[in-house]
Amino acid sequence: MSATDRSAAALPRNFLRPCVLLLLREQPAHGYELLQRLPPLGFSGSDPGRLYRMLRALEQDGKVHSAWSASSAGPDRRTYAVTRAGLEELHASVDALAQSRGALDVFLSRYAEFVDVPAGRQGVASSGVGSR
Amino acid sequence: MDELEVLRIRDEVLQAMYWMRSEGIAEAPSAAELSRFLAVAAPTLVPYLARFVADGLLEEAGEGFALTAEGEQAGKRTFAEEFADVTRPTHGECDEDCWCHDSPEEAARCLEERLGHVGH
Repeated sequence: MSATDRSAAALPRNFLRPCVLLLLREQPAHGYELLQRLPPLGFSGSDPGRLYRMLRALEQDGKVHSAWSASSAGPDRRTYAVTRAGLEELHASVDALAQSRGALDVFLSRYAEFVDVPAGRQGVASSGVGSR
Repeated sequence: MDELEVLRIRDEVLQAMYWMRSEGIAEAPSAAELSRFLAVAAPTLVPYLARFVADGLLEEAGEGFALTAEGEQAGKRTFAEEFADVTRPTHGECDEDCWCHDSPEEAARCLEERLGHVGH
């Protein structure tokens, strides 16, 4: 298993979905811009197909909407923004993530009672956007 | 080839290729790149690409495929049409300035008021 595979396994299942909603809550964006803003959230690889499919699924579910925006350098691009339903899903996702974090904190704390956890293993892992 | 399936896949492929092109990801993706992008097996996709070339929507470009002017127009148009009905505001949704955007707790309160329970 590669380092990328290992770190991908460390991320919550379907984590890309709330990440995209969060990024769009911060600021409406087009696809390439989202790809550039994903790495700090743990997605270091570049898989535009996975992002594209996620955006389509979110739009199909009414969680994001998109509109054409003119580009001076080429064809018009789709700019995505989160909808009310998307914000509600984001809030719900955060509740679930917070619960997971609480359980993980307890686990790591108990583990650390008998094993020193190196600082490097406590950080946020990276994963390819296309790894799931 | 089922013609309804051809239409469905045509829209998928043209929209994806338009998106790839407009985002600067690929001008003329290969069949393998397209199949990865759409998460469809390449052997499934290839016959359809040949069909779209024959229909004048795509043209072969080196190892890959590029949108013709007609394909580009169709990709852009169907992209917009596909979700036109999905994202219209629905009755009962709160407005852009609603306080529910400020925190999960406030979103839960907003939902509680609107739906009669904190459903999520």
